[in-house]
Amino acid sequence: MKALQLLGGVALDGLERLGRATLFLYEVVSGSWLLVRRFYLLIEQVYAVGVLTLVIILVSGGFVGLVLGLQGYNTLVKFGAADSLGLLVALSLVRELGPVVTALLFAGRAGSALTAEIGLMKATDQLAGMEMMAVNPITRVIAPRFFAGIVSMPLLAALFSAVGIFSGYLIGVGLLGVDVGAFWSQMQNGVDFHNDIMNGVVKSVVFGIVVTGIAVFEGYDAVPTSEGVSRATNRTVVYSSLAVLGLDFIMTALMFK
Amino acid sequence: MFSVTPAAVDDREYLVEIRDVHFARGARTILNGISLSIPRGKVTVIMGGSGCGKTTLLNLIGGRLRPNQGQVLVDGLSVPDLNQKALYALRKRMGMLFQTGALLTDLSVFENVGFPLREHTRLPEALLRHVVLMKLQTVGLRGARDLMPAELSGGMARRVALARTIVMEPMMIMYDEPFTGLDPISKGVIAKLIRELNDALGITSIVVSHDVADTLAISDYAYLLGAGHILAQGTPQALAQSTSADVRQFIDGLPDGPVPYTYPARDYVEDLFDGGAR
Repeated sequence: MKALQLLGGVALDGLERLGRATLFLYEVVSGSWLLVRRFYLLIEQVYAVGVLTLVIILVSGGFVGLVLGLQGYNTLVKFGAADSLGLLVALSLVRELGPVVTALLFAGRAGSALTAEIGLMKATDQLAGMEMMAVNPITRVIAPRFFAGIVSMPLLAALFSAVGIFSGYLIGVGLLGVDVGAFWSQMQNGVDFHNDIMNGVVKSVVFGIVVTGIAVFEGYDAVPTSEGVSRATNRTVVYSSLAVLGLDFIMTALMFK
Repeated sequence: MFSVTPAAVDDREYLVEIRDVHFARGARTILNGISLSIPRGKVTVIMGGSGCGKTTLLNLIGGRLRPNQGQVLVDGLSVPDLNQKALYALRKRMGMLFQTGALLTDLSVFENVGFPLREHTRLPEALLRHVVLMKLQTVGLRGARDLMPAELSGGMARRVALARTIVMEPMMIMYDEPFTGLDPISKGVIAKLIRELNDALGITSIVVSHDVADTLAISDYAYLLGAGHILAQGTPQALAQSTSADVRQFIDGLPDGPVPYTYPARDYVEDLFDGGAR
């Protein structure tokens, strides 16, 4: 009986939070008109959210490409299909690893930073102060960050894939002796713009919405104490990672039948 | 004794009217039927122990909270009934100084003071600079314009916040614990600023504080809040001479009195020798 009560309580709390989050995101989207008039607010945040995340994305993309090159070659060479290494690297990155790994790294770097920043602004009365200055914090603080995340995610994922493919090329062609012409031409023939690249872009846009949405909501909804902000940051990383992996499965099932 | 309900209510005489306001957070009652009026152009102090609902009262006036019952009128407008647009229009005419200053930590002193102007007006840069520097001069911090909030002392941060509050030339400023955590010099500076701004700009000031000596010295009228009620009200002189036990305990800082020293608990001996749970 007690367990049932507890379960009901947890479910109700979860539903209530989900409702709050939906209303909050509605307010964020309806507050986006300010960005049209003051475009630089968005640019500032694209710098903070996107440009500052570049290093981790590029370095990780490089390593993932190197590993893909090595592992792919070892498997393909057994079947005498080492020439297809370019195709394998490109498809793995563009369809799956690019959007997913970028989103996970993005949640860890940019998402947690957003939650901590907004949570601390709340804890130090900065958001309340804005409200009392007749400035809506959702329009002025949250909306630019949310849309900057949505703009940055696909760009970062594209860069991740590009760097990954290039380092796959370095290891495959440079080190393992795959034919350079075969590497690129197989890739060109095998990768479809619509089915592969665009689907990857759609994924990364969806991940951008989900990760940034979770991050800004958790920050705004944080209990305004140091413990509350730390928990909120924690939740951002956990929830957005799980959401990315779960959604990736669903989208893959729908896209690549 | 002092009367709890103001006698005659005149819109022009009073800027803020609170009538029979009840407010509770969950099961905890914070305000229990409070009525008070804030006269225009005066410094009114709301005193009371920590956690007695003083800040809640300011949040009700500013429209950040809604009362469960009762009326909150500012300049004739019923604050809880305003839609967001009207509420924001009203807030442009009222300022609030937070206990922490609530400066935006990623902006310099200059940009912090200029923030409301950039958000609400389209002043040319040269004019904006003039206005910001004039307001900073008023609080004596024109030379600190390039510092970041993290580089300011507590007193300086509050003065910058005050400059930011007056930059839109409000009709009223609410001060939430303006003296907490300040050294005597900074306290004196803030007290002087509150009084001078009130008189020079014709602003209505509401100061919420538990700092008896500093606040009574600059106030025109004072309310003493406790247990969700108004315990006493009057001019600072009248309060200082009051014989009411509530007022005396608060003004003289007595550890025990109407507000008990011990938090309610069950019998001491029984509690110690119970041996059971905590």
